[in-house]
Amino acid sequence: MASVEVNKSAPDFEFVDFKGEVFKLSNFQGKKNVLIVLNRGFV
Amino acid sequence: MMQLQHDYEEFVEKDTVIVAIGPENAEAFQSYWEEHKLSFYGLPDKKHTVLKMYGQKVNLFKLGRMPAQMLIDKEGILRYVHYGHSMKDIPENSEIFELIDTL
Repeated sequence: MASVEVNKSAPDFEFVDFKGEVFKLSNFQGKKNVLIVLNRGFV
Repeated sequence: MMQLQHDYEEFVEKDTVIVAIGPENAEAFQSYWEEHKLSFYGLPDKKHTVLKMYGQKVNLFKLGRMPAQMLIDKEGILRYVHYGHSMKDIPENSEIFELIDTL
């Protein structure tokens, strides 16, 4: 199954989004839920 | 991903941001976003870094292009993981809304 476990801390990550802005998961902590969608491809 | 955009306003009402991650490059994201007028975040991840981080069984993903969703609450706790078994195996937004309401 997954290497991440439900009801445990999600691994933090920091990436640059396609607009060139930094997206850091932990930036949303305390403010928003985050839905991560891993799409293997658009088409 | 259009189904996510379709209910995007409700995600916003529930204090939820959406980030789509894929192996495409920034240009592909850009044109797809413009074409479908998507509002959420898009992360190009060519090296499958996030994929590997969140999915130990990379083999599972190598089999094809299976979608996966994860919901992380405001404390940074992973609350929900869904690995698709087919391209169309994506949870309904209503299922995710119900989950958010329980947080």
